[in-house]
Amino acid sequence: MELALQAEKPDSSTCWREYRPTKKTPWNLRHVVHLHRRAGFAATWDELQRDLQEGPQASIDRVMNGTTCEKSYSEDFERMSATIAEAAVRSNQPDRLKAWWLFRMLFTTDPLTEKQTLLWHNHFATSNQKLEDLSLMHRQNDLFRSLARAPFGKLLTAVLHDPAMLLWLDAPSNHKGHPNENLARELMELFTLGIGHFNETDVKEAARALTGWTVIDDRFSFRASQHDAGQKTILNQHGVWNGDELVEILINQRGTAERLAWRLCQLFLGEGVAQKSDISTLAEGLQSHDLDIDWGTETILRSELFFTDQNIRQRVAGPAEFIIGATRALELSDPPPQTMILADWMRQLGQDLFYPPNVGGWNGGRDWLRTSALISRANFATGLSRGQFSSNHLPPDWSRLAAKQEQSSNPEDFVAFLADLLFGGDPSPGWVEGIVKSVSNKSHSREVVLQQTVAAVLTSPEAQLN
Amino acid sequence: MLTRRQFLDTSLLSTSILSLASSVPCFLTRSLQAAEKKSHGRILVVIELNGGNDGLNTVVPFNDENYQKHRKTLQITEAKVLKLNSKIGLHPAMTGTAQLVEDGRLAIVQGVGYPNPNRSHFESMGIWQSALMNPNAHGGYGWLGRALDQKSKQVRTFADAICLGNVDPPQALRGRQATQATIRSLAELQLDSHTPNSETKPDESTTDDLLQFVRRRTVDARATAARITKLKNAGTTETRYPQSGLANRLKGIARLIRAELEPRVYYTVQAGYDTHINQEFDHYRRLSEFSGALSAFLNDLRDSQLDDRVLVLVFSEFGRRVAENDSQGTDHGTAGPVFLAGPSVKAGLHGSTPDLADLVDGDLKMTTDFRRVYATVLSKWLEINPQTCLQGNFAAMDLLQS
Repeated sequence: MELALQAEKPDSSTCWREYRPTKKTPWNLRHVVHLHRRAGFAATWDELQRDLQEGPQASIDRVMNGTTCEKSYSEDFERMSATIAEAAVRSNQPDRLKAWWLFRMLFTTDPLTEKQTLLWHNHFATSNQKLEDLSLMHRQNDLFRSLARAPFGKLLTAVLHDPAMLLWLDAPSNHKGHPNENLARELMELFTLGIGHFNETDVKEAARALTGWTVIDDRFSFRASQHDAGQKTILNQHGVWNGDELVEILINQRGTAERLAWRLCQLFLGEGVAQKSDISTLAEGLQSHDLDIDWGTETILRSELFFTDQNIRQRVAGPAEFIIGATRALELSDPPPQTMILADWMRQLGQDLFYPPNVGGWNGGRDWLRTSALISRANFATGLSRGQFSSNHLPPDWSRLAAKQEQSSNPEDFVAFLADLLFGGDPSPGWVEGIVKSVSNKSHSREVVLQQTVAAVLTSPEAQLN
Repeated sequence: MLTRRQFLDTSLLSTSILSLASSVPCFLTRSLQAAEKKSHGRILVVIELNGGNDGLNTVVPFNDENYQKHRKTLQITEAKVLKLNSKIGLHPAMTGTAQLVEDGRLAIVQGVGYPNPNRSHFESMGIWQSALMNPNAHGGYGWLGRALDQKSKQVRTFADAICLGNVDPPQALRGRQATQATIRSLAELQLDSHTPNSETKPDESTTDDLLQFVRRRTVDARATAARITKLKNAGTTETRYPQSGLANRLKGIARLIRAELEPRVYYTVQAGYDTHINQEFDHYRRLSEFSGALSAFLNDLRDSQLDDRVLVLVFSEFGRRVAENDSQGTDHGTAGPVFLAGPSVKAGLHGSTPDLADLVDGDLKMTTDFRRVYATVLSKWLEINPQTCLQGNFAAMDLLQS
């Protein structure tokens, strides 16, 4: 995006080669923490220790097969999730639907899928601001989840038949002889090819191909009488193209593979880590794997590039990563936090779920760190450290967290423990000493000092990076 | 005005900021100077109409038969339009704005655009914000960021520009040295009293540029918040503002201007102009909000005797297509009007009205390059060399009173 420093990295022809621990790049706590924070929402101490023992292959297997997080919800997670979602839709309160998603992020054993659901919410950004229909927003979200890791063509086809998307981009107003270009343009610009790979005529012709696609009774419907069945030329291909054929054309374009590769790199890699040629190589692989999102994801997560030093902590943590990551790593699930409150913090940090700012989604990256978001991050950290978001509002027992992991709760040791837990070691030279100094205050009780320590750690600039 | 004493108070509240002074050389000196010397500098306020405002139904050629032909359902008739002359009028929702023209406080530049228009919201917005045809060229800096860089004394203050609103930091304000603060609302800047002073001292030796960026942002955010929270009750106003998001943000900006903060540039956004369907009601509501908010803002500044120092610039990323679509809406188009507001403008219409009989692919040909408007604002208002900033020679226009 901006001012990205081109980091040193392995040779591009080998960058997607599988990572194997060596003496120089051993499988250590730093790598385990990195894997969990990038591919999920951070790990507990026990999960980190488990993966440290099991090694990279088994740890990444767990990420991919949805068993990387220990089950921390006592009841049937999927059933509870369905109950909460249903109640949220019925209540017609957007905050409750946001809370539902936060519940999923917090308690799922498969954070990768939630993270990719969030990726697709951003890629196919649809806002309830215009829709005002929680039922459709919920359905779209479940669609993103169920196809989050499918071949991209399947996901794209489903999204283009999704009522929320069709209404959002005015598909029902796109009639033969009177096109509404909204869907066609964003389909080409944002969902598939990207700017520079199509022209204005392509947009107009694509809009013609999509005529007749509409929503009736909250379902996709095709109205043949509104469809323009004439000849069209899209991306230099002539035919009487309809919507499905248009999708087929777009899916087979190199630009779409490039954009998908870029999206996955944007999600899993830090600033300036993947070079243009790396993205191209990945796009090539995606093309020969039916644009399989899971193949792309696994390729990245297992790669040398993913575990290279230049990739670690080289990305701004998004609001979900910051909030869920802190809550999970610090094991603040008993009593569980109030997810409505967490969802509201996400809004304050700049990511109001189901309400992306526009059809382009959230910019992310450095833009997460606007002035008021940084103040909100500090306030969130302070509230979390004092137990303000838990259902009983009692301060968490930080000494007990330390004791449970057989760690001392001397301030110095506690800071070092938090550094291991959250960063896989001291994040910058002198960082531990700095935190200790900033919270040492003789007039405070031990517990207050520990609270302040947690807040100080989460407020530090280092903690804003993932 | 913030006295030296008040400034020191603020600083002491955030001693950790002072401990970071090494990363912000002359931070203190610069701010103390600012605190001591009441600034008489001019201020630019930018309002971005996001989504592509339908310029043709904002500044309406109501008498043009081609307009009537292309706008079957969305046409604004002579009876409804707020006439500026026998051919051109303002949308009926813009009563406040029409009054501003009457008062001599609003200039309208018609047909503003750029060559080879791009109909992507993001690309086009990027072009307007960067004033470059490739928005990512030269590091992705913005036109105002580059302008403020020229004025920057190579030292950092808490912000050179402030954007108020629930938006990402605008590219327009992004500079190499110049910093911007992007604030959702003034009310949300209060730091929890239990928050520890937790910034660690930056490691001078590090070459990690992302981490350095976060450290700087953290320092800036805390300093900005400390300063602005301190102003909490200062600078309230008697002027009545309508109830709307934009009005609230402009009210906030007026308060910051009254508080004599350093920034010379303020920025805010009004979203919702992407009107592909049922445009009539939506557009009415947006323009009505815009018009009411803008006139309240200017009246507020006039009541505070500050309006001589303020110029408002209003733009959108593109206009809409000339012909309406079949859903009583309009698709992405090209040129549109730009507004300049304040007592310093030469009020009324400027530039030439685009010819509706001479279209390219159903879109307007621009009659004024937007960089000429920028050149005017830079050279005649902010007194900044436009050529350096715009990386080209764009003639200033006669839009401001000398």
